[in-house]
Amino acid sequence: MNCFVEGCGLALALSFCLVPANAEDLGDTWGTAKREREYYRIVQLAIPEGLVIEAGAFHRLPDNRMAIGTRRGDIYIVDGVDGEKPEPVFELFATGLDEIFGLEYKDGSFYVTQSCELTRITDTDGDGEADRFDTLSAEWGYENYHEYAFGSKFDEQGNIHIALGLSQSYNSRALFRGWALTVTPEGKTVPIASGMRSPAGIGPNEHGALFYMESQGPWNSACSLKAVSPGSFHGHPVSLNWYEFAPELGPAPVQPKSGSRILIEKDRVPELVPYAVIFPYIRMGRSISGFTVDRSGGRFGPFEGQMFLGDFSLSVVLRATTEKVNGVWQGACYPFREGLSTGILNIQFTPEGRLLTGGTNRGWPVRGIKPFALERLEWTGKMPFEIKRLSVTPTGFHVDFTKAVDVTTASDPGSYVLGTFTHIYHAGYGGPEVDQTRPVVESVTLSEDGLRATLVLDKLTLGHVHEFDLGAVRARDGEALLHRHAFYTLNAIPEAR
Amino acid sequence: MLILPAPRAVILCLGLQLLFWLCLAPQVEAQAVVPGLAGDHALSEAQVGELLIVELRCAACHEGISASAATVPPAPRLDEASWRISPEYLKAFILDPAGSHPGAKMPDVLARFDPRVREDAAAAIPAYLSVLAKQQGAGPGSVFEREPVDAARVARGRKLFHAVGCIACHALSGNSPSVNAAGELPDSAGAAVGLGHVASKYSLASLSDFLFQPLRVRPAGRMPDMGLSRVEAEDVANYLLAEVSMTEDSDPVDLELAELGGALLQKLSCVSCHDLQGLSAPAPVTKGRNLDPTGGCLSEDSKKTPRYQMSAAQRAALRAALVAEPEEVSDAARIDQTLTSFNCIACHVRGEHGGVSLELAPYFGTSEPELGDAARIPPPLTLAGAKLNLEWMQRVLFDGEKVRPFMDTRMPQFGEANLAHLPALFESVDHLDPLVPLGFDGDEERRAARDGARKLLGTTGLACVACHNFNGKETVGFKGIDLVTSHERLKFSWFKRFVVDPQEYRPGVVMPESWSGGIAAHTEILGGDTDKQISAIWDYLSLGRSARDPQGLSSVSQELVVGDRTRTYRGRSQIAGFRGIAVGYPGGLSYAFDANNGTLSGIWRGRFVSARWDGQGAGGFNPSSRPIRLAQDLSFYKLKGPDDPWPLKPVMDEENPVNPDPQYPRNRGYRFRGYHLDQARTPTFMYSFGKLDVTDKCEPILEGERPVLRRSLSITASDPETIWFRALTGEVQALGPRAFKTGELELRLERAGEHRLPFGETVLRSFGEEDPQLELLIQLIIPRGTSKWRIDYELLR
Repeated sequence: MNCFVEGCGLALALSFCLVPANAEDLGDTWGTAKREREYYRIVQLAIPEGLVIEAGAFHRLPDNRMAIGTRRGDIYIVDGVDGEKPEPVFELFATGLDEIFGLEYKDGSFYVTQSCELTRITDTDGDGEADRFDTLSAEWGYENYHEYAFGSKFDEQGNIHIALGLSQSYNSRALFRGWALTVTPEGKTVPIASGMRSPAGIGPNEHGALFYMESQGPWNSACSLKAVSPGSFHGHPVSLNWYEFAPELGPAPVQPKSGSRILIEKDRVPELVPYAVIFPYIRMGRSISGFTVDRSGGRFGPFEGQMFLGDFSLSVVLRATTEKVNGVWQGACYPFREGLSTGILNIQFTPEGRLLTGGTNRGWPVRGIKPFALERLEWTGKMPFEIKRLSVTPTGFHVDFTKAVDVTTASDPGSYVLGTFTHIYHAGYGGPEVDQTRPVVESVTLSEDGLRATLVLDKLTLGHVHEFDLGAVRARDGEALLHRHAFYTLNAIPEAR
Repeated sequence: MLILPAPRAVILCLGLQLLFWLCLAPQVEAQAVVPGLAGDHALSEAQVGELLIVELRCAACHEGISASAATVPPAPRLDEASWRISPEYLKAFILDPAGSHPGAKMPDVLARFDPRVREDAAAAIPAYLSVLAKQQGAGPGSVFEREPVDAARVARGRKLFHAVGCIACHALSGNSPSVNAAGELPDSAGAAVGLGHVASKYSLASLSDFLFQPLRVRPAGRMPDMGLSRVEAEDVANYLLAEVSMTEDSDPVDLELAELGGALLQKLSCVSCHDLQGLSAPAPVTKGRNLDPTGGCLSEDSKKTPRYQMSAAQRAALRAALVAEPEEVSDAARIDQTLTSFNCIACHVRGEHGGVSLELAPYFGTSEPELGDAARIPPPLTLAGAKLNLEWMQRVLFDGEKVRPFMDTRMPQFGEANLAHLPALFESVDHLDPLVPLGFDGDEERRAARDGARKLLGTTGLACVACHNFNGKETVGFKGIDLVTSHERLKFSWFKRFVVDPQEYRPGVVMPESWSGGIAAHTEILGGDTDKQISAIWDYLSLGRSARDPQGLSSVSQELVVGDRTRTYRGRSQIAGFRGIAVGYPGGLSYAFDANNGTLSGIWRGRFVSARWDGQGAGGFNPSSRPIRLAQDLSFYKLKGPDDPWPLKPVMDEENPVNPDPQYPRNRGYRFRGYHLDQARTPTFMYSFGKLDVTDKCEPILEGERPVLRRSLSITASDPETIWFRALTGEVQALGPRAFKTGELELRLERAGEHRLPFGETVLRSFGEEDPQLELLIQLIIPRGTSKWRIDYELLR
């Protein structure tokens, strides 16, 4: 979540906090909603009158009901989200918790990440209401405004990872603010990574590696996906003060220099992890939040095994793919669906392979006009013509499409308009796109099935976002791309084999 | 076999009604009912004929007959017919569609055969459908079964039927308790889709299922989804089946007969319209429009073709269409045709045509009557394409989006497949010269514009919020359309014209002219410049949630109320720190627990807490009544000696904002372990200090003159240990060895049952340098096992 209200202390946070009159504009829409609906429908899940469900976390239960954790601190168990004409039934399981941004379930208990702690919540007498709340970890400071906590699902080892936002979104005044912690199955809490600013989601990428979603702000000119590993530093140096409390990670990384470029600083600061996927600001979201991976077995369309991400400000859902090149994570992002009704805080697939979205629109600028909503995105079964995936080669990119391309337009290098840019890596809030280049597409080779174009470029620029505009490419049936743009963040170039 | 177990009175009543209609009702010519055609439509005779070609699905057999190249609306699905439709009815309907369901569009496909063949066919086709349903395992039940209705649900269903819009197409029931036998009013008979057949056709289960999702069975969308919930659909089904209850036997399925049925479905061209798995449609019988306009289906007694229920006027219209020179159908005509096909014109005016009839108007209700007809009658579609954004039209038509919660009538859903063309048609036909809002450049100009807009919208300006909700918040006045939806729905070119001249663009609307003749009423705001004012409002509405509320909105109470069970609520609070927990009991006693430090930090009587959930509010709480504040430092600690200072919680201020002791109090041995709730939902907190496990539960004692919070503590030790408990701070006075007080409360240490009190020394000493206070420390000598005691906090105010 992105914050533009600076420096609210506890007192102000508890008092009435007015939004300034010069509230921000949200920029233009993609303008694709009217075409998107042919392929992906948005279905409202009616919330009974009187209930306020500002979803912050979802979980699919073993019995195929969905659990929803809310900003207001409730956990609802919901039946019927997949109905053809849905009439979901909401049962309140637990209430009175503190902003839920992480929800998991195992052996009859929920594992709930609240702002204050990770809690195991159980209904021990089987009456349908939680009655036992065991604190598993409260090993982090929680003393200031804007100190949100986002929790992952269990990883393969049974760990839950928790990403902690900075104090007031700019400082690190309480223990481990701006860090990620791991809570092990034995209940031990281990600090693993520093340098986060305002994380808004944490979990595995499509290859099972741990990632978190960072918001635009200081040291981050755009939202980005970043790979988290023990000892990793994520670029915002204000949280380096807590290394003495994490002796297992050794000494603190050296301070990065403001006004530099991320890959230049990476040479100086070995722990610094470059942004794996940059989401160009406004064009590709403003406050990207929860993410999940499509494991629907094709029921959600052609993007099985890819990441989907919600955006709070623009009320959109985005798509991303990642790959590891020379030991460094990088990848691409793609527009997916706009026109949701509220600010999206989290998303999750339903048992039937629909994408459940939810959130709220209070507190920050949001395009969706509903104070809160639950909506289901579902594939209509009609194949969209989309850039399915970008992947890097030693000399350029593979562009995979969801439908076979038309040979004339797709084999013309002029149909692939590329540009690159990077950001200044600096302490200022956000920042412009700089150092633009215009790579020339020297050749295009189409695969026999027409699903892949292989581009050879005159130059690949490390540390740059490579943006693609494929507006001129047509499918064999003459259809234009549903979304013509895609953005690949290049941190490493594979060796030629 | 039909058995009528209905009470004699009902049968008599039905009989009398039938008699009434037979004798007294005007003789209505049999015809296929297309309700829009009976309304105030815009179509010429030839256009009516074109519409009938579509509605009667002529192109299913006559390829190329439709001038507009409209697709054939899909016919009802038959694969579930055997459980959805009474076998008796199905048979009767196949034998005589017009007799079973006057107005039905399905032709009599057996009319040309002799009676024996007809009887066989009418038995064989249901047999086939029955086998098919069994094979597919379709529907909630594979057998048609009747159930009795519920009187309370009948009443609810009756109300819904008349309120949500069913009456726009179906004959109104008037004052009669039943529509079953007398579905049509004399003056609207023939205009409406009669429901007289419904009681004999459906079971409660199948009708409920149909009303809940009509498009599942009838994908053509002529019977739209009225947005009924499953329960509402059952209510309406109870109402429609209220007066007739029957049981019937279904014959065992004869497989040979079923086979014949399949063959007949093909031979009789049923499958040209009805999609049935495994049965292929025959080739079209003709191509093009060069048909004999008096013969074939258009003759009244054709010996070769199916026979249609058609009035003379309908036949004439069809002939007119067939002889007319085929010409390109204009977009405007396509809109008229669509609005007639789907009977949008029953509720919506467009241009000169359509709109709610005088007879039906009283049934269109609203919860905001003061807002006039605009709050109860669906909006006009005149200039719809110039008024509404395309995406918004799609969301209203296909996603059930709505902005008029006060209107009783519901916008039906006709199915995206059926109306996908309509939004773009509106956009291409409806035109207003474009108007562009003024831009506001620079921070200062923008701020001035937004301040101006906020004033205009508020009660000291144009008071728009006197009749319009804003940003999901209700006004104190009438709850009209939420203004913040404007930007998403409307085009500026229409918005500006509308606010300047509401009556021109929305005749009859209760909306003042705030820029009468284009002149601003509020000259002191934005220089009284109309363009600037309207553009500023438009810009303001684009901000959505980040726009400040104009003056005049009611504030939403976020008071948490304690019901008949204890309420536990976590959140940041000045009385309990960030890891604060508020506990409220029925009867009005509450306390706060600081889970970060393991301390009971406040007690109060009266209302519980209010939570902050607006803006960015993370749900922090404040006691709703004045609390007694207690210390928020750690409560248990192993002092080295009586002079060892108590470890106070770290203090941060503007000069030293970073926590200097960031692991406090975990580095002093404290861990919060959680809580569990009893049957009354009262929490017992669990925490540990070193190797000691503590449970901590409070309960209210409200019988006496002054309320008492009774706190039960237990400590379990694996080895004997001595620690200190900081029981109270402030102006503490000792009343006795186990009783102490401050100005606000009296504290008593008590035995818990048979447990020996684990108390050692008691120390009352001062602490703090700048503002010294007293602290009451009690030494606890904990043996192995579990020690228990009690603290009563008696409130002195």
